[in-house]
Amino acid sequence: MPFLPDFLGQALNGLAYGALLFLLSVGLTLIFGMLDIVNLAHGSFYMLGAYAGLATLAVTGNFWLAALAAPIAVGLIGALVERGLLRPLYRRSPLDQVLLTFGLIYLFEDLVKWGWGGRIRSISPPEVFSGRVSFGRVTLPSYRLFVIAFCLVVALVLWLVIEKTRLGAVIRAGVYDAEMAAGLGIDTGRVFTFVFAFGAALGGLSGVIAGPIQSAYPSMGVSILIPALIVVVVGGLGSLKGSFVGSLIIGQAETFGKVWLPGVSMLMIYVVMALIVVLRPQGLFGRPLR
Amino acid sequence: MDQLTRRTFLRGAVIGGGTVASSTVGPWVLRARAQGGPVKIGLVLPYTGVYAELGNSITQAMELVFARENWTVAGRKIEMIKEDDEMKPPVGVRKTEKLIDSDKVDILTGPVHSGILMGMRDKVHNSKTILIVSNAGADAISRERCSKWIFRTSFSNWQPCQPMGGWVAKNVAKEVFLIAPNYQAGKDMMGAFQETFTPAGGKVVAEDYPKLGETDYAPYLTKIRQSGAKAVFAFFSGTDAVNFVKQYDGFGLKEGIRLTGAGFLTEPDVLPAQGKAALGTLTGHFYTPQLDNPVNVRFVKEFREKFGGKTPDGFACQGYDTAEVIVRALKAVNGNTQDKDKLVAAIAATEFDSPRGRFRFDPKTHNVIQPFIYIREVREVAGGLNNVPIDKVADVRDPGTGCTLPA
Amino acid sequence: MTRPGGLRAWGFAIILVAVLAFPAAFGRYPVKLLQEILIWGIYAMSLDLLMGYAGMVSFGHSAFFGVGGYAAALALTGPGGALGGPLGALLLPAAAGALAALVVGFFSIRVSGVYFIMLTLAFSQMFYAYAFQTAWLGAEDGITGVPRPALLGVPTGEGWAFHVYVVAITALAALFLWRVVRSPFGHVLAGIHENEERMTAVGYPVRRYKLLGFVLAGTLAGLAGSLYAQFSGSITPDAFFWTTSGEALLMVIIGGTGTLGGAVLGAAAFILLQSLVSTYTERWMLILGVTFVLFVLFAPGGIVGALRGRIGLRA
Repeated sequence: MPFLPDFLGQALNGLAYGALLFLLSVGLTLIFGMLDIVNLAHGSFYMLGAYAGLATLAVTGNFWLAALAAPIAVGLIGALVERGLLRPLYRRSPLDQVLLTFGLIYLFEDLVKWGWGGRIRSISPPEVFSGRVSFGRVTLPSYRLFVIAFCLVVALVLWLVIEKTRLGAVIRAGVYDAEMAAGLGIDTGRVFTFVFAFGAALGGLSGVIAGPIQSAYPSMGVSILIPALIVVVVGGLGSLKGSFVGSLIIGQAETFGKVWLPGVSMLMIYVVMALIVVLRPQGLFGRPLR
Repeated sequence: MDQLTRRTFLRGAVIGGGTVASSTVGPWVLRARAQGGPVKIGLVLPYTGVYAELGNSITQAMELVFARENWTVAGRKIEMIKEDDEMKPPVGVRKTEKLIDSDKVDILTGPVHSGILMGMRDKVHNSKTILIVSNAGADAISRERCSKWIFRTSFSNWQPCQPMGGWVAKNVAKEVFLIAPNYQAGKDMMGAFQETFTPAGGKVVAEDYPKLGETDYAPYLTKIRQSGAKAVFAFFSGTDAVNFVKQYDGFGLKEGIRLTGAGFLTEPDVLPAQGKAALGTLTGHFYTPQLDNPVNVRFVKEFREKFGGKTPDGFACQGYDTAEVIVRALKAVNGNTQDKDKLVAAIAATEFDSPRGRFRFDPKTHNVIQPFIYIREVREVAGGLNNVPIDKVADVRDPGTGCTLPA
Repeated sequence: MTRPGGLRAWGFAIILVAVLAFPAAFGRYPVKLLQEILIWGIYAMSLDLLMGYAGMVSFGHSAFFGVGGYAAALALTGPGGALGGPLGALLLPAAAGALAALVVGFFSIRVSGVYFIMLTLAFSQMFYAYAFQTAWLGAEDGITGVPRPALLGVPTGEGWAFHVYVVAITALAALFLWRVVRSPFGHVLAGIHENEERMTAVGYPVRRYKLLGFVLAGTLAGLAGSLYAQFSGSITPDAFFWTTSGEALLMVIIGGTGTLGGAVLGAAAFILLQSLVSTYTERWMLILGVTFVLFVLFAPGGIVGALRGRIGLRA
C-alpha cells in the first residue's frame, strides 16, 4: 500500500478539520483576550449561526446569503448580550461572567428548540462546491478545500486588522491592559461591545460554514464547545496566532489519532492538551501567567 | 392523595368522568371503582432534544390505537402519563420511580436509550411492574438480564443486523468494511452481522469504531477508500447517521463502494437531513412504511390523517404494536390488572397482524420475533425519500443466550 | 457569640428532625426526591468549599462524583459481596475521590482563574472519555444493578433504613464542612481566596493548602457519587460529563456561594425544577437558564443572600 499518498490524504483531512476548528475557536479567543471572559456560550453562538443560516436558506435558498446573514444576526445577539447582561458584571469577579454565559447555554438551546423543534437538520453545500477534487489517489470533497481556503483568508484578514489598523491597535492595547487603554482616552466600553459582537459573529459564521459537513441540532453547542476550548488552551488564551496554530495541531492530532490509534481517539485531544498545559501552562502563544 | 401530582390528578378527573361523585356512595362502590378506574400507562420517552422525534412517533402511534378503541378497553378507561427522560439515565430512572411509586401505573413503556433501560431494569423487576420496551435494543434484556415482567415490541440490536450478513455476502459483496460507534451496541451489531456474513464466504477487510458523537468522519472515509472494500456495513443513529451518510457521499464513496447498514442508518428521523446523500443505501429493518400489507396500508393512511401528513416510521410501528399488545391483553383478562401473573401470561400470548407482519413474542425471552427483516433501499418515491423494501428474511428471533425466564 | 451559635445549632437540629421524619408524612416519590436533593446537596456543598471558601471555581468536579460512584458500584457489585458493607459503600469511594482529586489537583492548582476552570474541565472530560470506552466499567451503559449495602448489620434496602442512612451521611458531611471552614485551615483558605500573594508573602505554603482543600472537596464529592450510585442503583459515564460539573455550579450559585447550606437549597431548587416543572412544561430548560442568569445578575448571594437581605439574618 503506497504510504505517501495515503498520508497526504489524511493530512489534508486534518487540515480541513483544523480550519473549521480555527473558525470556531478564533471568536472565543478574541473575546477572552479583550474581555477576560471564557465565553461558555460560544458553542451557542455556533448553534445560533447554523439556525440563522437555515432560516435564511429556507427563505432565499442561497448559501452565500446564509453565510452573510448568520454572522450578522449572531453578532447582533452578541452585542445585546454584552450590553445587557455582561456589562453590569464588569465590576465583579470575571468568574461571574463565565457563570452567566453558562446559564445562557440553557436559554439559547431551549429557545431554538421552541422555535425549530429538536429535529436534526442540515445545510447543503453550495452548488459550486458540491463535487469532488482528485489528485492521484487522494480525493477530497471540493467543499472541504473551500473551507481550508476560506479559513486561511479569514485568518489573514484578522491578522491584518489586528496588526495593521487603528482598530487593531486599540484592541491590542485593550488586551494588554484595559485600564491603561481607558487612560489613553479610548472608549473601552464601545470596543468591548464591538469585540464581543465580532467574536460572536465569528462563532455564528463557523456554524454556517460547518453546516454542509455536520448536522445542526439545538444541543450542538454543548459538544462543540470542548474542542474549541481545547484549541484555545493549547494555543494560549487570547492569542490569534495561538488559535491558528492550535487548530492545526489539534486537527492533525485528531485525524491521525483516528487513523493510527482508533481505540483511544476520544482521549487524543485531551492528552495533547494535558501535555501542553503541564509543560507550558500559558499555552503555545499565551501571555505568561501572573 | 398525597402522591398525586397535579397533572395526573387533572387528567384523572377529566378522563375518569363521574367517578369522583360516586366514590362517596359506599364501600362496595369503592371496590367497583378500583376495578373500573382507568388503566394507567406510563411512558418514559424523550420528548425534548434530538431524539424527541422518536418519543413523539411512539406516543402518536399509541394514541392512534387507543383512540380507535375510544380510550376504553374492557370497560376501563385508558390513561397515558408521559414523562420526558431527556435521554439521560439518571432522569429516566427518576421518572420511572415517579411513575411506579407515585402514579402507580399498571403498565410502563419506553425507553429509547439502552442505558436508561438497563437503569430501569431492576426497579421494574423488583417492583413487579410490567414494562413493554418500545425502543431500546440492548441485547442483555433478552439475554442474561431478561425478566418475567419485561417484554419488548421493538427489537434487540442483534435482530436487524444478523440477517444482513448473509444477504450482503450473497447479493452485494464479499469484501466488506465494518464501521460503528465505539460502544457496546455498535460492537454487538457488527458481531451479529458477522455471524452470517463469514459463513457465507464474506471477508471483513477492516473495521473501525469512531467515537459516539463524531463530527468528522473524513479519516475513516479515506481509510475505507484505501481498504479495497467493495461494500461498507455501518451502524449509526441520530446525528452520527446524518454526519456519516452526508460525508460518505461528500467523499464520493457511493461510486463504487455500496453503503449498507442497520435500519437506523436511514430511518425517517435522519433521512430528511441526509437528503439525496442517502440514495441507494441498503439497510435491514423490521419495518418500512412502504410495506404492502392491508394492516400497514391502513396504519399509514390513518397515521397521516391524524398527524398532519406525517408518515409513520419504525418507531411508530413500535408504538402501534405496544398499544395493540396492551389492548388485546387487557381484553383477554377482562380489564383485570390486579392479577399480574394473568396479565403477563395474556401479554405473552398476544398474537396479531401488525403493520410489520404477524406479531408474536418469543416465550423464551419475551422479545418480539421479527416476522421479517426487510432489506430496504433508499429511493425517491412520491413525497420524498423513503426506504423501499426489496427483499426479506423471515422469522428472526434473538438467540436469548443466558435467559431463563421462570415458566 | 454563644447566642447566635446556639440558635444555629437549634436550627440545624430542627431541620434534621424534620428531614428525618419526612417519610412519615409523605409518599415514596417525595421521599425519593428529598433523598436525591440531599445527595446532590453533599456534592454541591463540596464544590462550595472550593468555590465559596477557597475561591477555586472548578468545572471538573464531576470527575470525583463519578469516581466515587464507579468505586461504589464496582465494590458493591463485586464478587462475593466482600466489599458490601461500609468499606465499599463509604470508605473506598471517598478514598477514590480523594486520590483522583490529589492527582487532578496536583496539576490544576498551579494555575488559577480561567486556566483553572479549563484545566479541571479537561480532566473531567478525560475521565468521561475513559469511562465511556472502557469495557470493565460497562462502557456507555455504565454499571447497573448496584445493591444497597448493609451497615452495622442492617440492610439499607428500601424504606426507613436507607432514608436514615442518607440523612445521617448528609448531616455528618455538613457538620464536617462546617467545622472545616471555621477551623484555622478554613481561615487560611479564605485568606488565600482574598489575597494569594499576601498569604504567600506571610509564609504560608499556599499550594499545599489549596491542594488539601481540593482533596477534601474531592473526597466529599466521591462520597456523594457513591450515595448516588446506591440511591439510583446505577452509575453511567454521564456522571463525568462536564455538564454534571456545571449543574453543581448552578446549584451553588442559586443557593448562595460560600454558605454551605445554600448549596443544599440550590440542589433542592434544581431537582424540583427538573422533576416537577418538566411534568408541566417542556420549557423547563428555559426557566432554569433564565433563573440562573437572573440570580447571577441580581442576586449574587443566591437564595441565602436574598433571605439575609430580607430578614436581616447575619452569617
